[in-house]
Amino acid sequence: MIRSLSSSSSSSSPISSSSLLTLRNIRYFSSLIKNIPLAPADKILGLTSEFNHDQNNKKVNLTVGIYKDAFGKVTPFPSVRQAQNLLNKNHSNSKYNNLSYLPITGCKDFETNVTNFLFNDSINKPTLIEDNRISFIQTLSGTGAISIASTFITKFLSNEIIIPNYSWANHSNILQKNGFKNNINHYPYYDPITGKLSINKWKQYLRSTHSSKSTMPRSILLHASCHNPTGVDPTLKQWEEIIDIIHELKMIPIIDMAYQGLETGNLFQDCQLLKLCLDESRYPKGWKNGLFLCQSFAKNMGLYGERVGSLSIVLPPGQEEGSPESVMKDKINSQLKRIVRGMYSSPPGYGSKIANIILSEPDLKLRWIKDVKFMVDRLNQVRLMLYERLNWNDLINNELIMGCLFH
Amino acid sequence: MSATIFNNIEQLPPDALFGIKQRYSKDTRSHKVDLGIGAYRDNNGKPWVLPSVKLAEHSIHSDPSYNHEYLNISGLNAFTTGASNILFGPDSIAIKESRIVSNQSVSGTGALHIAAKFISKFFPEKKIYFSKPTWANHQAIFQAQNLQCDSYPYWDAATKSIDMEGYLNAIKTAPRGSVFVLHACAHNPTGLDPTNEQWANILDMLNMGDHLVLFDSAYQGFASGDLNKDAYAVRLGVEKLSDNVPIFVCQSFAKNVGMYGERVGCFHLVLPRQSNEDETAKVKAALSSQLNKIVRSEISNPPAYGAKIVAQILNDENMTNQWHKDMVTMSSRIIKMRHSLRDKLNELGTPGNWDHIVSQTGMFSFTGLTADMVKRLEEEHAIYMVSSGRASIAGLNEHNVDHVAKSIDEVVNHYSSEAKL
Repeated sequence: MIRSLSSSSSSSSPISSSSLLTLRNIRYFSSLIKNIPLAPADKILGLTSEFNHDQNNKKVNLTVGIYKDAFGKVTPFPSVRQAQNLLNKNHSNSKYNNLSYLPITGCKDFETNVTNFLFNDSINKPTLIEDNRISFIQTLSGTGAISIASTFITKFLSNEIIIPNYSWANHSNILQKNGFKNNINHYPYYDPITGKLSINKWKQYLRSTHSSKSTMPRSILLHASCHNPTGVDPTLKQWEEIIDIIHELKMIPIIDMAYQGLETGNLFQDCQLLKLCLDESRYPKGWKNGLFLCQSFAKNMGLYGERVGSLSIVLPPGQEEGSPESVMKDKINSQLKRIVRGMYSSPPGYGSKIANIILSEPDLKLRWIKDVKFMVDRLNQVRLMLYERLNWNDLINNELIMGCLFH
Repeated sequence: MSATIFNNIEQLPPDALFGIKQRYSKDTRSHKVDLGIGAYRDNNGKPWVLPSVKLAEHSIHSDPSYNHEYLNISGLNAFTTGASNILFGPDSIAIKESRIVSNQSVSGTGALHIAAKFISKFFPEKKIYFSKPTWANHQAIFQAQNLQCDSYPYWDAATKSIDMEGYLNAIKTAPRGSVFVLHACAHNPTGLDPTNEQWANILDMLNMGDHLVLFDSAYQGFASGDLNKDAYAVRLGVEKLSDNVPIFVCQSFAKNVGMYGERVGCFHLVLPRQSNEDETAKVKAALSSQLNKIVRSEISNPPAYGAKIVAQILNDENMTNQWHKDMVTMSSRIIKMRHSLRDKLNELGTPGNWDHIVSQTGMFSFTGLTADMVKRLEEEHAIYMVSSGRASIAGLNEHNVDHVAKSIDEVVNHYSSEAKL
């Protein structure tokens, strides 16, 4: 042996003999890398991979939240198909398609169309846009929005978050890996025995775990509608009780809005949580440390794999051009850019261009609104058929669930 | 806590390239030239959609089963397999021994980011070494994961060549088992690559130090027009290091397929040879599960459209052939422009030696122009480039190369006569 097996050896003699090379194979990195444990398979997508391998011709996949038509096929909505055709035909037309890089925070048209859809069409608060109060970036769907929100918040605002018990299986993974580490706690949300919302325990929890000594606010993750996985959402009155407490305790709300339109079939009716939080007669000073809206077109446009979504940070009032606070948005945007530049540089174009066409062509937008209604009607019909065969009341209990993909 | 803590957030300076783009688009001079951009332009200065991409798009759009379903967390299999094949080559020993784990990524940056997250999770104490200079975003990606970054000598400004002695010495003196980030071809920003002999020396030296090698492969096929030629360093690395250290490769299809905005890339981890096949399979499964966990926590699964296009090109013989021609079209136009600029500077008798413009490869040339000269080029001649003197050769064409050569001649003379005073 010319060199010892220990990594502290620092011999600089030239190594050329192949027998020595094979000896070295057990050293250092090979052995370090060998010690990396197997991470558990993803709870949801792991099952899909098992489904794909199953040879049984009666197999059914009820795991992943993708809408399928009456024949079990994933087909684009008519509105999406029309937008796609427009995009494909006008390849050389730079309004629709060119393959250049998008800006770091996404395409400007996308920002205009999506903020208009979310804050004007959906909750009728156009002044938020006019008053320069939305810091916006295009993201890789809902997950991308939450991971960037989480990175940003833990860098500047908060180091603890509470999420509902139960929540989407990936939520704690996203938050943990993007800054919150192990400071993730669960608030009571759903009682598996009664199958109902644990509203009183939830309220108690918010107050009893609040520490007035803490120098940083706590963050709280809220599901806007179609709570995943329970399908149980608070009523508007329950939301009012909860949001009043969250606002009073100066927590930072992160709203995950992945299913807009899939609860009632009406895109604009599914925004009551967002509308309430941004109701100026109720909260005239807004949210001092921002409200984070993580939104996705995966489900309501069926653009799952194209990764189309957004993060909007709603800033407190006083951001008008020229006001002393108006630089806040510029500062936040610059920091968001830095985060994105270090993760993936700029977002993918194709899916966002389809969303742009749908949101900016009035006829297509109307068609899309109808497509969402049609999809939710079909899901409700299936639910009813399942109820007729199983006789489970919860399946058709309107208080518990409407059009969500899961139960 | 009545005051908002938002107020403490610091405003960061805008991206330098973004500033150039902004000033360029505001400039009303009709003869303006953009040499800042990092994207291919045709002879009329326009973005170019590759004919092979048009074929692939047509075939995908007319497929009745085309949909937008989620891809796997690790991406589209037809894409990652094809990507691995062109990178490592049909005869790759690592492919034969099934030692490669591949994950689709959000282009090159996404792949580098996965590497940074992986290293920070499992080897957080490792120091990461970058060439000096390197791509502006390289260090930021790794620093964002709290990794310690350092540099190794690369560009020797005096000789406009690689400082090999400094380079090898840095490898020798780096702590054993550090991480070295290497540009697989078309070094950004200098355009200067090691010769085959120099690569062999570099890789042997890295092997002796048990250093972990990370190749950033952003220009395969774009640099020379030949996929194999541009993959020389990666393949030599696999050959030389297989018995010792893992190799990371961050692969981007932004430039060679021209789909910049669709974010098509791949992260590959080549395992060193294990004691037997079972062991390889076990380690591979563990690594793949960890990489998927990282991806799931940030983007859930990668974007589909661009990957489907590239998979189509890689798996259809006609389209593959067309793509090879397309890469030759791009690289030969750039090489022609290099010669044209050098020849014109020589004709003008511009002080200095300009041969490096021709010997450099890829999208860029490190011209050697100073920050003052670059500033004067912009102000007096409407020619835009980064203050380091890096010029995007893709921005040159037959219509503007005269103007660019004359302008460089003017600024060089302006400052050399000033120096004499």
